[in-house]
Amino acid sequence: MRIGLPRALLYYRYGRFWEEYLSGLGADVVLSRPTDADLLQRGLAVVSSEVCLPIKIAAGHVLDLADRVDTIFLPRMFSLDDGLYACPKMIGIVDVCRMMLGNRVRLIAPVIKGDLYGPHFRAGLAICRNPFRVAQAISRARAALEEERPEPAFPKGEKRVALIGHFYNTGDGYVADAIIQGFRSRGYRVVCKDDLPQGVLRSRAGFSRNIRWVYERELYNAFVHLKDKVDGACVIVSMGCGPDSLVAEFMREESAQARLPFLQLVIDEHTGMAGLVTRIEAFVELAERSRMKVRAA
Amino acid sequence: MKATFPYFGFDTYALKSFVEALGAEVVLPPATSRRTLELGVEHSPELICMPFKITLGNMLEGLERGADTILMAAGARKCRFGYYHYLQKAALVRLGHNQRLVPVSQYSPYGFVFRLMPSLFGVSGTRVLRAVFLMIAKSSMTEEFRKLLNRSRATDFESAERKCRKALALIEQAGTMSEVRECRRELRELFRPNGRRPELRVGMVGEIYFMIEQYANQEIEKELGRLGVEVLFERSLYHHIMHLLRIDPGYARSRRLARRYLRECPGGEAIRTVGEAIHFQESGTVDGIVHVFPFTCMPENMALEGLQQLTADTGIPVLSLSFDEHTSRTGLLTRLEAFVDLLKRKKREQRVSRN
Repeated sequence: MRIGLPRALLYYRYGRFWEEYLSGLGADVVLSRPTDADLLQRGLAVVSSEVCLPIKIAAGHVLDLADRVDTIFLPRMFSLDDGLYACPKMIGIVDVCRMMLGNRVRLIAPVIKGDLYGPHFRAGLAICRNPFRVAQAISRARAALEEERPEPAFPKGEKRVALIGHFYNTGDGYVADAIIQGFRSRGYRVVCKDDLPQGVLRSRAGFSRNIRWVYERELYNAFVHLKDKVDGACVIVSMGCGPDSLVAEFMREESAQARLPFLQLVIDEHTGMAGLVTRIEAFVELAERSRMKVRAA
Repeated sequence: MKATFPYFGFDTYALKSFVEALGAEVVLPPATSRRTLELGVEHSPELICMPFKITLGNMLEGLERGADTILMAAGARKCRFGYYHYLQKAALVRLGHNQRLVPVSQYSPYGFVFRLMPSLFGVSGTRVLRAVFLMIAKSSMTEEFRKLLNRSRATDFESAERKCRKALALIEQAGTMSEVRECRRELRELFRPNGRRPELRVGMVGEIYFMIEQYANQEIEKELGRLGVEVLFERSLYHHIMHLLRIDPGYARSRRLARRYLRECPGGEAIRTVGEAIHFQESGTVDGIVHVFPFTCMPENMALEGLQQLTADTGIPVLSLSFDEHTSRTGLLTRLEAFVDLLKRKKREQRVSRN
């Protein structure tokens, strides 16, 4: 059985888990090709123009798979352990894809509400009838999830910038490579949100307790954790992203208080790379200047 | 205490009576205007949705009139709305306003009646309960008023507008249960059907603030009425309160119907939007659906996909309108006119093919 796995959205967090899990079930995992302009164009044509870039990209990936496979695995991440929610679009994308594909392609979409493994077990039975094999596949795949990242080191004298953005934006080369390269080529080390250990990202301390979107809480926690360790913070927001428009604002306020250079890059399908590079250059210069001021003081 | 709160369409008066019944003085901001919106936009984050900007403008204008406490609804989990008050408070503080902003969480009726309101106004829970009943009665009346008004606008626009001003004065004054009953009778008398039937009917669905606040939706009900279209709707403060008390049969129906397109609730009112649209379509009472929501609204964008599928499946025309501060009235009117023309032609064709 060939099962398609779109290389979009949650793939950048649970991708390895799903690959292991599906191959453990004896399925042939077919990944969609890495994002490119053509894929994005296909996505743009099918979803409403107002949704955010990652959703448009995800629609493109699903369409890409629909040509090649007859079953697509697209779990619906609803809420996780402690009563948090994914954003409405991430919940809704499954329905959008179902409507888009019609009866052409079978969609396996376990609904994950709190418990990660139960829905995977039930969905697994639809692929492979043997419950023992499903359980085994899940327990093997778990190893891919439970790997703990160590806290990155922050040596003195190094120039660093915090890149605060969702894993599906920073992980997607098509979207974020230009930004990351922009900083690296100017001698900055880029510390992404997802380089931090899970414990930091999931913290409930301080204001982050009030943020009920699971991935936005991570953004905020990462920002708070990194703000006194870096020379500047760059936040990537997709145009039309609801939660980010709020959380970025909280971060902007805190940066202003901490006098940390703050850059908010709003990206969508019209974003020009030249424009981004100019903004990064200006931001780097600002960061240099504020470093000098700090040293002088 | 001089309390103020953002405008909420005709239901503002129901909220006002509620707060007054708790013994506080209410300072309503001036009616939402271009200035309100500009004030709000100036002090809001750029990418936030439109209700944030208008309500912030309302708050600032309410404070200008001397209010010392702002009440703001809060407590949606998946939707940005629940987080408005943090940023609004920050914006007010930045502008040097240190008045209290009280977030009123919606999701615990018990906590609302017996904890939040008593501690805020220093009254007993039973008094709050009485005020809640008054609010329910009054919001049910404003809902009926809106229905009557929409109907009468579609058949006789000029006189409906004249009556509307008179009716609003009546509604504002009704402050007790018996006055509400009396007012309701007068409204029914005022808007007695004139025997004419509206040419077309459309169902309005969408985000609740935009369904109710007339300024935000650029008075879309009025403009459709001017074109001879009666606007049906199912969303109002009354229904929202019923939903919060978990006794709204409309919501259960929406959930059941919307499953066809949205298997899970993506948050906000997407389920209601889709469910009500399907209900309107299936009951055959409407010729088209108008869908209103703020620009970049996440749940409604998911609902939009569902509505498009509904059109593809059943052929019912759907007009989706997203609003922000740049939405031009002229552009909106052109779209409405075109939509109404389309509905008229479709209806004529149906009539011809039936004969």
